[in-house]
Amino acid sequence: MKRNVPLAICLGFGIVMMVQFFVPHPISVGFYDLTTKWVRIVSAFALVLGVGSFLMYHTEKLRRRRTGWLYSIVALVAAAVSTVVGLAWGVKQTSPLQNYIFTPLLVPLNASMFAILAFYMASAAYRAFRARTKESALLLIAAFIVMLGMVPLGAAIWHRLPDLAEWILSVPNMAAKRAITFGVALGGIATALKVILGIERGWLGGGKQ
Amino acid sequence: MKFFQYLLKIDRRIIYIVMGLLVTLPLVKPLGLGVTSGPRAARLFQAVDSIPAGKTLLISVDFDPASMPELYPMLTAVMRHAFAKNLKVLLCGLWPTGMGLAIKAATDIPPEYGKKYGEDVVYLGYKPGVDAVILGMGENIKNVYPYDYSGRSLDSLPMMRDVQRLRDIPMIVALSAGTPGYSDWLAYAQSRYGMKVGTGLTAVSAADAYPFLQSGQLTGLLAGMKGAAEYEVLVQKSNYSKAYMPAVAAMDSQSLAHVVIMILVIIGNIAYFVTRKRRS
Repeated sequence: MKRNVPLAICLGFGIVMMVQFFVPHPISVGFYDLTTKWVRIVSAFALVLGVGSFLMYHTEKLRRRRTGWLYSIVALVAAAVSTVVGLAWGVKQTSPLQNYIFTPLLVPLNASMFAILAFYMASAAYRAFRARTKESALLLIAAFIVMLGMVPLGAAIWHRLPDLAEWILSVPNMAAKRAITFGVALGGIATALKVILGIERGWLGGGKQ
Repeated sequence: MKFFQYLLKIDRRIIYIVMGLLVTLPLVKPLGLGVTSGPRAARLFQAVDSIPAGKTLLISVDFDPASMPELYPMLTAVMRHAFAKNLKVLLCGLWPTGMGLAIKAATDIPPEYGKKYGEDVVYLGYKPGVDAVILGMGENIKNVYPYDYSGRSLDSLPMMRDVQRLRDIPMIVALSAGTPGYSDWLAYAQSRYGMKVGTGLTAVSAADAYPFLQSGQLTGLLAGMKGAAEYEVLVQKSNYSKAYMPAVAAMDSQSLAHVVIMILVIIGNIAYFVTRKRRS
């Protein structure tokens, strides 16, 4: 029963929503409008689940004094302060959430995390990017052309370099990307059909019938 | 031999210092390499430029501060272009951490053109449930967003009187740092409601969007900071703005950063092959 009811709902809604997409009748459109509202409400619960999981993980880490428990204090305090300030003053431009948390804290911290990638990338490329085989040599040459062609210095070195970089991106890169996209799309359709027809049941989780 | 072995074991902090210096110096003293616009940015510019005055351009702010250096200049440049053309700008977002950036843009840019919040620009805010949000906006925007980000009813905002659903909006520009982002606008707004979709992406994810550009599903594409710089140049060349161009200013740094990485890879390969040959 615990499995059959969700499977039946999934099968019913899967087929109805597929058919609905091609039927522009007002009843069909109304039903579609209603179900998208349900989806938005269910999605909002994911936030509750996320916050619950976050709190449980960090309080447990703190209680057991696991490695890095001090960072859990930072995470919990930051979450509590953001929530209180957000609920009390809202998210307007003049709110303390914007003026004391988002702009002076989150923006530079988040940007710094991303910016240090440039340093790691340079170091990693120096140590690991080796032309050991013909394929890796080809990759290396293509990467050099695209890297130079994508910045103004490339055009300053040779005016046709941006065109060459554009060709690499538009022809060989796109052929590979398109093949991957088709593969992913076909895989997505197959998985969706398996879920609708009850062949794939991983989403039901464990437990008894 | 020892020299090449030393090169292979070079302290990573030296690499960090070299990289840091070469990225910082052009910001202090620009090299003035200049930026020329490519066909992808020009397509997006033309598409926005051809929207009749008074119509609404939807911009989805689907990025967070981590991608701000690449995507925020795109947001400001597209908004300046839209206001210069007397378009109205409707902002929304699929990323909760993009809210502060959208609010900043909605506050900073409109006064440059004498535009007012509620009449010429509205920010809807963030709502969870990506596909349901886009599909819901396709039927009725007020069903999904009865209020704007600050809690004002959409019925009280004059701009929203003529904008009921996605079909009332000629084009969307999705500025995306990942998922959710432009691919969701393509899958739902473009395929179901026939909306024109242009996008601005971080450089690392731009290659994924090329097939959609060639198929005509995407109207234009800004790729990374270079794309932002190209759009800034197009806006300024058309006399739509005289504002400072942060992406153009940062392109010199990016040029040198690419060169540093290339030189490091070349040195690393030379050292590797020399030491390997000697060993064998």
